[in-house]
Amino acid sequence: MPREAEPSINDRAFLLQALQENIRLDGRALDAYRHLDISFGDDYGVADVRLGKTRVLTRISASITAPRPDRKFDGIFTITTELSPLASPAFESGRQSDLETHLSRILETSLRRSQALSTESLCLVAGQKVWALRADIHVLDYDGGLIDACCLSTLTALRHYRIPDASVKGGDLTVYTPVERDPVPLALLHHPVCVTLNFFESGEKWLVDATLMEQQCSEGEIVVAANPQGEVCLVQKGGGGEVDALVLLRCVEVAMGKVRELGKAMDGALAKDAKRRDKGGMSRELRAENER
Amino acid sequence: MANITLSPLYRADGSAKYSKAGYSVIAAVSGPIEVQRRDELPEEAAVDIAVRPAAGVGGLRERHLESIIQNTLRRVILVSAHPRSLIQFTLQIVTSPEDGTVTGNLPQAASNLPVLPALLQASILALISTSIPLSMTLTATLVAVNSNDTLIPDPSVQQIKLASSIHVLAFSSHGELLVVESEGDFTMDTWEEVYQKAKLICHGEEEYKGESESEDMSMNSEDVSNLENVLKDAVERKIAKSQRWKESMG
Repeated sequence: MPREAEPSINDRAFLLQALQENIRLDGRALDAYRHLDISFGDDYGVADVRLGKTRVLTRISASITAPRPDRKFDGIFTITTELSPLASPAFESGRQSDLETHLSRILETSLRRSQALSTESLCLVAGQKVWALRADIHVLDYDGGLIDACCLSTLTALRHYRIPDASVKGGDLTVYTPVERDPVPLALLHHPVCVTLNFFESGEKWLVDATLMEQQCSEGEIVVAANPQGEVCLVQKGGGGEVDALVLLRCVEVAMGKVRELGKAMDGALAKDAKRRDKGGMSRELRAENER
Repeated sequence: MANITLSPLYRADGSAKYSKAGYSVIAAVSGPIEVQRRDELPEEAAVDIAVRPAAGVGGLRERHLESIIQNTLRRVILVSAHPRSLIQFTLQIVTSPEDGTVTGNLPQAASNLPVLPALLQASILALISTSIPLSMTLTATLVAVNSNDTLIPDPSVQQIKLASSIHVLAFSSHGELLVVESEGDFTMDTWEEVYQKAKLICHGEEEYKGESESEDMSMNSEDVSNLENVLKDAVERKIAKSQRWKESMG
């Protein structure tokens, strides 16, 4: 399997010198994201996020299973990431790479452990039947910013997903098809988004949303996951290179602003899609949580 | 109607997205690239296929599809032109139609055959996009036969459930049968009918005329309904788009 090509010495020197003059190769500001485009499929729970040339598609699916014996009231939520040669020839299918482990750990902490999705809301019959929710992340194109794009894509898909409505009567569980009852949105408690910053010049200079080449030339990175309310869910510093504590604080502050920006883009895309689906303006009346 | 996008991905050597009848597949091809020692073939290129389902991890169904596709594409690609190298396919199923009923399982159709035509089409388009030398192109279709022997081309999930047999047929650009996979009860006569129907869908009318004449026919014919013309049309449009700069130069 071919390795990811390292940038040549000239490329690297050019990029670093440009950065010294606060210029990025694609002309962006140091704290600017690439063009973000969020689109949805025909089904609920499919989000296709494009961040520059990086493209991630997430699909949410649900099935009914028995809960874990020690957690009778909690549904199951799993996130799977598998990097395939679709995204880059350097990714091998069927073998977990370091990048993949890193990615799944961060998603695990920022989305699952931060209780973004209330797993208790996925319980149908305590101790017997719960929803098992699954997020399949397909990385289609890879040009840096993988963590940010994956996190955003998963969260958008979760917010977009509608789970089939179910009711329990005398111990009997009925799951309704979309024709019988409109599916219901998931219970999301907050919306954490990841922002990655890369360091250069021994921690003096940082930039947001690095491309693959910038990432390869950088000395280290820090991932900040936070929600638009300003609560930090995760801060992870990786890749070696020492960074001053004050710079770190400044980075978290910058990340916070980016989180709000990304959150707003996500809200906008979701609202636009809801409008597209809302044919004849009847969706409010047809909602399952309305009184019957 | 089929929806085709050529080269939607940046990093892969060649890629294509093919959507038809509720199925949507993204195919990426890398190649010819370095091959692992154990897969290396001394006189031809190794063809590696990975089919990835929309939800969940691949299982036996996907392995079965992979083996069918691998055997087909090894005949289509001029493998002897690239000895001791690898041509790697990744076929990502993006959407597959659901029948609107809730089951305990992941949303996968009960049978694995219905997705095969889309996978084959996507992979051949990706090969074209990669510019790997081919001996021919192929077109594939799905035909279902219901209990009173009516043929249904491109059946829906419900129709597949009620069908007595389903057939996947692929034809080469010379009109020869390349792949046939059938499931269910059927007689040889029914199969003959299916064969004729599928050939009509994939390859259009039987050509009894000479080579040069038939070429004129295809140039003049307005009928783009057969799959081969759909593919041709998609590739032509992509080329026209990529060559636009040349035209504007005069």
